[in-house]
Amino acid sequence: MFNFKQYRKKSPWILHYNAGSCNGCDIEILACLSPKYDLERFGVINTGNPKQTDIFLVTGPVTFRSRERIVELYTQIPEPKVVVAVGSCACTGGVFRGMYNVEDGIDRYIPVDVYIPGCATTPELIIDGVVKALEVLEDKTKKIERPLKLFKNEELKDGVVHRENMAKRVEDDK
Amino acid sequence: MLQVLFILFIPIFGGVIYGFERVVKARMQNRVGPPILQPFYDMYKLLDKQPFMINSYHIVFALLHMVVLWICVAMIVLGMDLLYIIFIHLLSSIFLVLAGYSVRSVYSHLGSNRELLTIVAYEPILILIAIGFYIINGTFDISTIWGSDSLILYLFPLFLSLVLIVPIKLKKSPFDAASAHQEIVGGVEVEFSGVFFEILYMAKWIEYIFIYSLVFLFAGDSLILGFILSIFVFLVVNLVDNSTARVKIEHLVKIVLAIGLILATLNIWGLSYV
Repeated sequence: MFNFKQYRKKSPWILHYNAGSCNGCDIEILACLSPKYDLERFGVINTGNPKQTDIFLVTGPVTFRSRERIVELYTQIPEPKVVVAVGSCACTGGVFRGMYNVEDGIDRYIPVDVYIPGCATTPELIIDGVVKALEVLEDKTKKIERPLKLFKNEELKDGVVHRENMAKRVEDDK
Repeated sequence: MLQVLFILFIPIFGGVIYGFERVVKARMQNRVGPPILQPFYDMYKLLDKQPFMINSYHIVFALLHMVVLWICVAMIVLGMDLLYIIFIHLLSSIFLVLAGYSVRSVYSHLGSNRELLTIVAYEPILILIAIGFYIINGTFDISTIWGSDSLILYLFPLFLSLVLIVPIKLKKSPFDAASAHQEIVGGVEVEFSGVFFEILYMAKWIEYIFIYSLVFLFAGDSLILGFILSIFVFLVVNLVDNSTARVKIEHLVKIVLAIGLILATLNIWGLSYV
């Protein structure tokens, strides 16, 4: 029949989340949408709503309070989805690796597809990364993908999958 | 026969206009902009996502919103009663508001509240436009309006107040508080995803055809004048969208009712001297 998969890479909608970053990589991401490095010519829209996105751009090493939010946002994105870790902090923890207040990188909590290095990254690297993420997106299926830690299992009620309140709340003294 | 074909392809024409508008907006900002058929690529992509549904009322109201809007534009094409068409359009807006209230999400409720306030702002002006046409023609029938000469000279302040409302209906600055992307995460659209969001997206395209056919009404008989007016409204609305910020919802109601309602009332009062 009609091949829908080829249209996935023609209109990627982005959700950008800051998991404790210094805002350097966030500013570079917003610079990609400005007239010089125009990402909108690829059909990219920066939506603020996880239910309407395909690409999850995360910056920052994961701080204590943003762990639940990352897992919650990740489970609210409908499949097929890709996760792009922007900046060294999101890849491995960056300069803050091993510190008491950060978890080293987001790939302890959600499965990551593309890693973009740099402190802060440049818009050219971000565009390269997003284009690579689109190639990965084209091959994905609609199977439900789970986070790696801190989540509850989705429930099956009457043959309908329910995905609500997926992140386990973290107690303050743990 | 031609009319039936046009009615069937209304979303496609609206999608092309919407895509073209994104290109014009991008060129005004010194960017390149997406391809013109981008809304259709978005549509195919949205059809291929895993469906998320909260409850069925939410989806059914959105579907009713789109279908009633389609019927409303079909009624304009077939040349029926203008006042009746404005009330059917009000019904489709109410369906959207009910869709926003049918989920337990704060952003959705905020969006519905703001949508109700914008209805309070623009609905009197639409009705006064219909009354303006009635005073001159003696009937609300659209086929009579299309058969007679252009009434733009008699109804010029009413045309200006229609141009004032166009940013509200098309969700553009400065009057897009009802579906404010950065403030309330899209308002009513926040809980829609995948194929269900496609329904609201398509309703947006149909809204374009509705507004531009109201602009065409002021041209009466001549198609060329209608196209000139539409292009004028298109460029003015995009220019205003690119250069203004969003106003708060209470200011939206005050500005639109102050300027639009007074212009429309002055025109109706002036028509009694004609």
